[in-house]
Amino acid sequence: MPSTIRSRSAAFVIAAFVGTGLLLAAAASSIGVTAQGQPIGRWWPPGDGRTLPAAVDYANADGALGILNTAGAIDTTGHPFFEPIGTNGRACVTCHQPSDAMSLSAATARERWRDTGGKDPLFAAIDGKNCPSLPQDDPASHSLLLNRGLIRVFLPWPPQKADGTRIDPEFTIEVVRDPTGCNTDPQYGLASSSATISVYRRPRMAANLKYVTAAQFGVSPFIVKNGQPAARDPETGALVSMNMMADAREPTLRTQAVSAAATHLQLSGQLTAPQLDRIIAFESQIYAAQRVHRDAGNLVEPGGPPALGPAALTGGSTGTLGNNTTRFVFPMGEGWKSLPRTGDGNADARNAFRESVARGHDVFFFRTFWIRDAMHINSVGLGNPAKRTCSTCHGMHMTGMDTVYGWMDTGTTNLPWAKEPPVSPWSTEAAELPLFKLTCKATVAPHTFLGRVIYTQDPGRALISGKCNDIGAIVMQQFRGLAARAPYFSNGSARTLRELVDFYDRRYNIQYSDREKDDLVNFLSTL
Amino acid sequence: MTAMRSRLIALAALVAVSAPQLGGQAPKRVNFVSCPIVQDTATVPCWLSAYEGQEYYLGIQTDISADFDPPYLGHQVLVEGVVSDEPRICGGVVLKPVVVSPLPELDQSCSVIRPAVPQFTVPFAPRPPGPSGGRLAFDPPPSSSVDLKPPYGARSFELFYDFDMLVMGRHSGMLTEIFNYAQKVPGARLRVAAGRGSTKLSNGKVLTERPGIAKARAEEIVELFQGAGVSKSAMQLIWRDDPESADGVDDWRSRRVTVRVEP
Repeated sequence: MPSTIRSRSAAFVIAAFVGTGLLLAAAASSIGVTAQGQPIGRWWPPGDGRTLPAAVDYANADGALGILNTAGAIDTTGHPFFEPIGTNGRACVTCHQPSDAMSLSAATARERWRDTGGKDPLFAAIDGKNCPSLPQDDPASHSLLLNRGLIRVFLPWPPQKADGTRIDPEFTIEVVRDPTGCNTDPQYGLASSSATISVYRRPRMAANLKYVTAAQFGVSPFIVKNGQPAARDPETGALVSMNMMADAREPTLRTQAVSAAATHLQLSGQLTAPQLDRIIAFESQIYAAQRVHRDAGNLVEPGGPPALGPAALTGGSTGTLGNNTTRFVFPMGEGWKSLPRTGDGNADARNAFRESVARGHDVFFFRTFWIRDAMHINSVGLGNPAKRTCSTCHGMHMTGMDTVYGWMDTGTTNLPWAKEPPVSPWSTEAAELPLFKLTCKATVAPHTFLGRVIYTQDPGRALISGKCNDIGAIVMQQFRGLAARAPYFSNGSARTLRELVDFYDRRYNIQYSDREKDDLVNFLSTL
Repeated sequence: MTAMRSRLIALAALVAVSAPQLGGQAPKRVNFVSCPIVQDTATVPCWLSAYEGQEYYLGIQTDISADFDPPYLGHQVLVEGVVSDEPRICGGVVLKPVVVSPLPELDQSCSVIRPAVPQFTVPFAPRPPGPSGGRLAFDPPPSSSVDLKPPYGARSFELFYDFDMLVMGRHSGMLTEIFNYAQKVPGARLRVAAGRGSTKLSNGKVLTERPGIAKARAEEIVELFQGAGVSKSAMQLIWRDDPESADGVDDWRSRRVTVRVEP
């Protein structure tokens, strides 16, 4: 979409439509609006006790995100997702805010710092700080959360199986750069008595999870990407999708909740079975997607793209490969392909933007380029390079994830592709993320595309599997609610959707035109 | 996963495809190590490789339901094929059957992507380079799956490997078949026998896999099945580190692990 059209609407007004009528018109602010038109506070502090409506819209820079609770309104009083059940004052909702598509944007983190002087439990030392050993009140100690929306993820090294037995990793690991100080910290670092590696990752959406957890197309006792045994639900023995976390370390919503309560919430005991049931039930009934766009208008009006809005997500089929012209990853229909111009400036601008969104979908779905040196895509039978499209990797119907086992190395954390600051006498930009040097042992084959020595900001799945070929492989995230939860990629390295598109353009030498980039950004902003 | 690979084994189909007899003569085989070459077309790319001035056609990009896994630029590839009398494709002499095995070490000199030109087309491509028409390129895959009907007696399964490599994604189908079969056999015991392969190249040299690969393969298979829930005590592993002899005929079969499931 031409930027001129976008800027025309800079001073936009959100028009949220629910059901059949226009219910409200509210300037973008720090409030949400329920389906009944009632304002609702944007930030959900733990233990707030409010009722979460069945449907609520939250304004964001591109319009408004819609949250839909298929179980109807819920009283959050006493609800374990919303209550500070741990010892540090946090709740699940702290990092999974409805206004941020059940994730947490860096902008929201900064707002919380500003509003609370850094006292919000969000900034708990355990992982809301670059390292627990840093001064708590100094914003610099929380720079990764404030600048990139990153939470510290600390993992044992070497990796351990679920039963606690050690895995002999195929590679050695050295800390090359440690701007947070945590990986060389005597108490928290790799050389400490309980060797730990710290990486920094974005909180993932706790919404639309029926897609994320579906173990259907592609599920197998042995992972089709590498032949390794697939994870199973420890309670039922059923195979799982391994699609939930950046490194696929937790197999189910239940184990994830238990783990998250122990780490992020610093729960000293254990979640009870009823608490777990309520958390999982809530996570399974929440849907989030952009519902109103400042330039495209109402995204869910009749005749519009079938994929858009949170209600569409409630009905989509799970575990479905959408990289085909029968299901589509994001069904957009034909309605926005070609729209009339009436001479009404506002209507014509809206229609022009909608056409841009439709073109952006086609760039996503049909525009081929050479996918090269991407572990767990080029290595799974397509060859290197493979002439394919975005939807080859981002193929899951309605989310753009992989259907199962979704970790790949698209270059977001591994050098030479990961975003790094320039290093020169003229640059003052400092690196924010740690850098590790991983060396694949002589007894194993080198990494298929990166060789024996790999520099990475986050080894990703390899920190769990210990496999050389998993270095820097990250489980892909949903493409929904993007406008509400910048920055992007697991390490928050793309501040905007344009930076996300630019990353791929560089990474794969796609040579998008300016119009293709604009269209793609516009498309993504409506999801 | 982007698509499900349910084929039995990557190379099993080749076993059933007898090498073509040209005028009653033994088929001409070529075994060589060279860089792969990508020849783009208006649809999907062709994969070629050159040996002694001749370019050979290896296959095309389809999807992961195919038995042909295209090799990797950035790596040399071991090609073991039979020269067919089919018309050239993308300018290359067609090798059929053909087994391609990317070598593990990087070789950045292997980097040739040729642009599409009108004279090279692949009208037989079962799917375009982007989204499919709603089905995988090969649906069902060319290789059939194991019949799991009773009685569940002793049965052997073979996994074939890339040169000097361990289990890869394409083995998941075979591993699953073995696992599922073992689940059917009461008190199943798995006998895992691994070998170290060698290939006689067309220039007379013999390419031998690294020492220790057989042991590594056997141990990995045991570890994988153990990870999937098979008791370690139910598995016996043996390996032979002496490379199998190579004669230039289907030497890829020497890069093998045999798993025998016994009641």
